[in-house]
Parts: sequence; structure tokens; C-alpha cells
Amino acid sequence: MLEFSARWRKGAFALDASFQTGPGITALFGRSGAGKTTVLGLIAGLARPDAGRVSVDGRVLFDSAAGVDLPAHRRRVGYVFQEGRLLPHLTVRQNLLYGRFFNGHGKGVATLEQATALLGLGELLERRPANLSGGEKQRVAIGRALLADPGVLLLDEPLASLDAPRKAEILYYIERLRDDVRVPIVYVSHSLDEVVRLADSIVLLSEGRVLGSGSVLEMTGRVELRPYLGRHEGGAVIEARVAGQDLDSGLARLEFAGGALEIPDVEALPGEAVRVRIRARDVSIALSKPAGLSIRNVLAGSVAALEEEEGPSLDVKLDVGGTPLIARITRKSARELGLRPGLPVFALIKSVSIDRRSVGYA
Amino acid sequence: MLTPAETAALLLSLKVAFWSVAASLPFAIALAWLLSRARFPGKSLLDAVVHLPLVLPPVVVGYFLLVLFGRRGPIGAFLDESFGVTFAFRWTGAALACAVMGLPLLVRAVRQSLDAVDRGLEAAAATLGASPAWVFATVTLPLILPGIVTGMLLSFARSLGEFGATITFVSNIPGETQTLPLAIYGFTQVPGGDAQALRLCILSIVLSLAALMASEFFLRRANVRAAGRDA
Amino acid sequence: MRWLVVAALALAASAANAQVVFAAASLKNALDEVVFLYPGEGNTRPVVSYGSSSSLAKQIENGAPADLFISADLDWMDYVEKKGLLAPGTRRNLLGNQLVLIAPRSRPVKLQPAPGFPIAAYLKNERIALAEPGSVPAGKYARAAFEKLGVWEQISGKVAAAENVRAALLLVARAEAPLGVVYQTDANAEPDVMVAGVFPADTHAPIVYPAAMLKGAKPGAGALLEFLAGAQARRIFEKHGFSVSP
Repeated sequence: MLEFSARWRKGAFALDASFQTGPGITALFGRSGAGKTTVLGLIAGLARPDAGRVSVDGRVLFDSAAGVDLPAHRRRVGYVFQEGRLLPHLTVRQNLLYGRFFNGHGKGVATLEQATALLGLGELLERRPANLSGGEKQRVAIGRALLADPGVLLLDEPLASLDAPRKAEILYYIERLRDDVRVPIVYVSHSLDEVVRLADSIVLLSEGRVLGSGSVLEMTGRVELRPYLGRHEGGAVIEARVAGQDLDSGLARLEFAGGALEIPDVEALPGEAVRVRIRARDVSIALSKPAGLSIRNVLAGSVAALEEEEGPSLDVKLDVGGTPLIARITRKSARELGLRPGLPVFALIKSVSIDRRSVGYA
Repeated sequence: MLTPAETAALLLSLKVAFWSVAASLPFAIALAWLLSRARFPGKSLLDAVVHLPLVLPPVVVGYFLLVLFGRRGPIGAFLDESFGVTFAFRWTGAALACAVMGLPLLVRAVRQSLDAVDRGLEAAAATLGASPAWVFATVTLPLILPGIVTGMLLSFARSLGEFGATITFVSNIPGETQTLPLAIYGFTQVPGGDAQALRLCILSIVLSLAALMASEFFLRRANVRAAGRDA
Repeated sequence: MRWLVVAALALAASAANAQVVFAAASLKNALDEVVFLYPGEGNTRPVVSYGSSSSLAKQIENGAPADLFISADLDWMDYVEKKGLLAPGTRRNLLGNQLVLIAPRSRPVKLQPAPGFPIAAYLKNERIALAEPGSVPAGKYARAAFEKLGVWEQISGKVAAAENVRAALLLVARAEAPLGVVYQTDANAEPDVMVAGVFPADTHAPIVYPAAMLKGAKPGAGALLEFLAGAQARRIFEKHGFSVSP
């Protein structure tokens, strides 16, 4: 577990943030300039807080009160930089083993064979960084950080400099990382899609301050955070289990507390758990169960709350069998339907609106 | 082909140039590091002093060497008493003169290389567990190798041609301090020595060209490695 | 900007009128003083370039723009004359000098040059500073003297050959070398050396400083040469230890 608390100032920018991370992936989320990379630098020892305390699993890396300030090379913090930063004069294999050399040859988090297998590096080992693609570089960077026996892994927007196919490729590897490696991971990103797909918890950072932290489900449901999490992107995240795959239609049937969903392009087997993000603007409301409609997902529930906002559109918070869901409709329709808390309604979700990117695998 | 005296001058030139570069290299790297990375009062003064041999007349440099490293000079006397190292009328004095005259070239080249190193790579190496000394040895040094090679080449070539400081500091002694330039000068001063002077001039040019080409070869190899391309 | 160009041109033009004298290194202190008294201000004051007579002669041979040449021995003036570079009829003997053996003031010794004198024993493993014995007049005189005294064989391997007589003087002044051979006038000019002994005049050719005007010299060069041979200049040269030719 990582405990972070620090104050740091440079020029006009001031950071004053505290948070803790649990197991799995913790996303450090916020807009550009929020201070996310600064936080990583302070954890890794590449910058020094004006005051604060940083510890990993009880091991104190920095404590201004106690006068502790471990130099970067003794912190055992695995940092995967946005640009990769592979050492150009070494081969991939030498890059991977670089941290190994300094951290003894103890058990470590993984062996070279394991990291190579996990990240698909087998064919790249004797190549040099200049001849690798962006995605290949990132995988090597991750492997290199892993092999240095880190107590915590920091990933700084690893997908930012990649194009769409590469992003998907690396996302896949990071999911495997999350599942196979028992080291806490801090994942910096400004993309909610990535965060929802990969992270277990979110720390929301804005202008150097923590606005909130908690599990992904919890955070995406908090209305007041909507502006920071992207109003346009507002929605809910549902945890479901694959009940069956219909090869004919290409649709998977997902079951959750509030009912069932039929969704295309789900790459999971029956019994596996998935996480589905449903954007508010893809949810419609009906007062009675419609017939003769193309929409396949019709869920019974009730209105939990109406968001108090100005403007032509309105977010309606729904309760579907205990699972929260958000629908964005016009204020005019809400009035005409007479929506009020407690009213039983049906939530309508088009299957095709839930695309590949919205489904995350546990 | 070559007379014994000419061969002696040639071998001495090579020996003096080699040792002048080898001995000044650690100092040059340290100075380049200080000028590139450290911050301290008087840094621009140090920069200026390092560059002095480039702009001062060589005879003036030779004079200062005499004052500092001569028998009665503060540094010369110390080195003699503590280590038995003397420079008076010896090839070591010629090497010292060449080292001092070539130092600015060496320091400049290494410093430029240091300035160009991506500090982000050094930070990455630190996060992987390398202490500052190890970062220097395993990341910085390999990346500045082309600059070091360039500087050594320049300093070596400068040493092959060094005259004014050498003859002022340790005079002209065949076998000890009579490098090629001093030998050539000697022939030009004697009536009828022009033909021999010309022979040695050609020899000097061949030598410098060979040194240049060899270093160009190594420089290219080092550049390829440092850029991360497959060799 | 235009003023700058005009000023630079004027400077160059007037400098172009100044006499250029090539003089043996051993003349430095005395000749500077003499030239200082020569009438003329600023850029018309004569300019003196000092060096070993051998290197100066070579430079003149290769076209250096000198107006007067004062050599420290007859050989190098003969050399230039043979190349046909002297203005006819202007050559004259100007000064004389004495050859002395010197030692650093911090290591004084009395060692009078005489046939077979124990100079090698005194030197042991150290070196004697001479101007280049193969070419520079002071070195040539020294070598001739040592040969005449029968000790050259013993010390020829212990010679530290300097670029000119003043450089040899410097080496002894810094106590880098325990002995050296320079002119009496050099020893007079340097407080950090003492005279160990004087070379008898018959051990070497007479030390004569010939002076001459060079072909194509600027107008006024002749007048300068006359001045250097004149009464005022002679007094100054004698003060520094030169003997003056009658």
C-alpha cells in the first residue's frame, strides 16, 4: 500500500495532496497540468516535497518531519515513463536486466522469462531501442521496471503517445500485468475510458489538490465530480458476469443485480466477470415497458434523484435493482413524463451503444 | 627511409602526444562535468581559465609552465618531493606542455557532449536502482563517448603540432624533448636544412591524417551505438 | 560606421610608414631604450621585432617586410647579403659583446672558462642552457668556445638548446639549469643570474653586431640607421654593457 502526503510548489503551481492506495491499480486521474506527473516524481524521488510523507508498505521513502529522504536509487519505485526512456546504447535484454544488476539477484517481482512471457518480448530481446515501435518500447519499459524488483509500479500515461491499435495492444498487456503481478500500481491518465477499464480505484487530482478518491464505481457515480470526470462522459459502471455467448448473433448475455444486458463484442467466456461502462447519454427512460422497439436492453427500476442543473439536458439518477444508472434526457421530457424520485420507470439502452472500449475485463 | 634522428623525433612525438592525452583525460572529464552540471561561485572564471591556452601565445603558456612546474615552481617542487616526478628537460615536460595546450579542446568537446545528454535517461536509470556514480558509468559515459573521442582526437592532433610552449618550457633536446615540430624548426634554422625540414613536414602530415582517419572510424562506431541503432 | 573605416585606414597608412627593425634577441633592453628616443610620435615610431638572428634572417629571406636588420653575428648578415637582400653600402658593424658563463643567483658558483676546466664535473647529470648551438649566434659562439677549450665533447650531451639567447637566460634565471652561456649584456639585464666566469675573447670569433638597411626599405630607414650609430644611441648601448665599434 502506498501512503502519500506532500506539499510542493514551483512558480505558480502548488501541490497539496494526500491519498492512499489499496491493492491493484489505482488511477491518478485529472486534466493536463493537474499535477499527476509531479506526484509520480515525488514518489520516485526525482523531486523533493517541501513537506510531507511518502511510504510504501510501511517503508518510509520520505518524511520531512523525521528528516528522511531516500535517494531515488534506493526507493525501489518502478517508474514507467510516458516516453519509455529506454537506454539507447543497450539492447532490449540489457535494458530489461539493467535494474536487476543493482537490486541484487533476489527473487524479485518477476524473472526475465516471466516478464518476457507476460509482455511478449521474446522476439525483441536482441534488438536496440531505436528500431522498436512505440508499443514495443512501452512493453520493454514496463518489463524493465518490473525486473528492478519494485515495491510499487508507477505508470505515467503509458498509452498517451500511442495510436489506437497500439493502445489496445498495451491495454491488453497492462490488464495481464494487473492480474499476474502482486505489486501495487499507480496509473496516471487523463482518459476516463482507460481508467474505468483498468483501475480498481481512482484518485481525482485537479490543480494540485485531491478532489476525491475511492473505488471506480463509487467515483463515477458521484455527481459532484462529474465536471472533472468529464460531463460529456458521465455515466455509470456496472459489474456483471457473463451468462452466455450467442455465436449466431454475436451478442453476449451479461447478468447483474439489476437484470441482464445483451452486448456485442464481449471477449469473455461464460462465468467471467466484466465491467461495463454505460454512458448517460446512451440511456433513455420509458414510463411503461415498450413493445416493437429495436432496443434490446430494457431494465426495470425507479428514479432515485434528479440532478439540479441548468440547461436543456438533465441527468436522472436511476436505481435498477440496487445498481445505480444515469440517464441524460432533456429537461422538457423529464417534465412531460412527470419524473420524480420513487417513480417506477424503465431504462432503455441500445446494445450497439456499448462498444468494445466500454467493456473491461477483471 | 628515415634517419635515426628523424625516427627518434617521430617516436617521441607519438609518445608525448599519447601520454599528454591519456594523462589529461580524467582531469578534462572532471572539468567538463563541473562546467556542465555543477553550480558554484566562480564557475565562469574556471571556464575562462580552462580556455586560456587557446588564446594565449604558446610561449606565454610555456613561461607559466616554467614558473609553476619548474624546479622552483610551487607545483613542480611538490611533485618532485612527493612523487619524484620532474619535468625539467624531460619528455614529461613536453607531455605536460601538450596536455595544457590541448586541454581546452578536450574539455570543450566533452562538455558539449555532456550538455546534450538526455537527463531523463539518467533519471530513469536512478529509478532502476543506479546510484549517481553508477548512472555516470553506465549511462552518461557511454553516451558522451563520441564527444570524448572527438576531444581526444583534437587534443592528440594539437599535441603533434605543439611547439611554442614546449620549446620555452623544456627547450630542444634530441631524444627527450625534440618532437617533430621542434626537429622541423631546427632544420629550418640551419642553412641548407630545407630539404630535411620538408621530409619531416610530409611525415607530420601523414601522421596527422592517419590519426584523423582512425578516430573518424571510431567516432562513427560510437555514434551508432549511442543512437541506439542496431550495429 | 564610416568613421571607423576611415580611422582604421588612417591607422594602417601611418603604421605603414613606421620603420620595422629586425634585431637579435640580445639587443632587447638596450634597443628599446634607444628607439624610444628616436624623434617621431605615435604610429611613426619605429617597431622592433626581436628574435634569434637565424630565424630573423630566414624570415627576411622569405620576404618579411623589414627595413633594418641587426644580427648578432657576421654569418647571418653574410647569409642575407649573399641573397642580395641588403641595400648596397649600408652595412656596418654596430656593436660588440662579451660571452659569459652564468649561474642562478640561488646557486652561485665561480667557474672561469679555461682549457679543460671542470665544467662537466660541476654539471654532473644536469644540463647547461645554450641558445641553439647549430644556428643561433650565441649558441654558435658558445660551442666554438667550448671546442677551443677542449670540453665540448664532455658537455655536448648535456645541452638544453633554447630558441634564442633570452630563452636560455630564462632557464638559468628560473634555476631550471645550473649553468648557461649568454652575452654579458644579457647577464646585466637579469637580476636572477650571476656571472660565473667570462670567456676569453680568443676562444671564439669576435662578437660583432652588424647592422644594415634592406633593399626596398621605406624612406627614413637610412636616417634611423644613422641614429642607431649616433652618439646618443652609443651612450645607451654602452650603459647596457655593449662595446661600440669605432
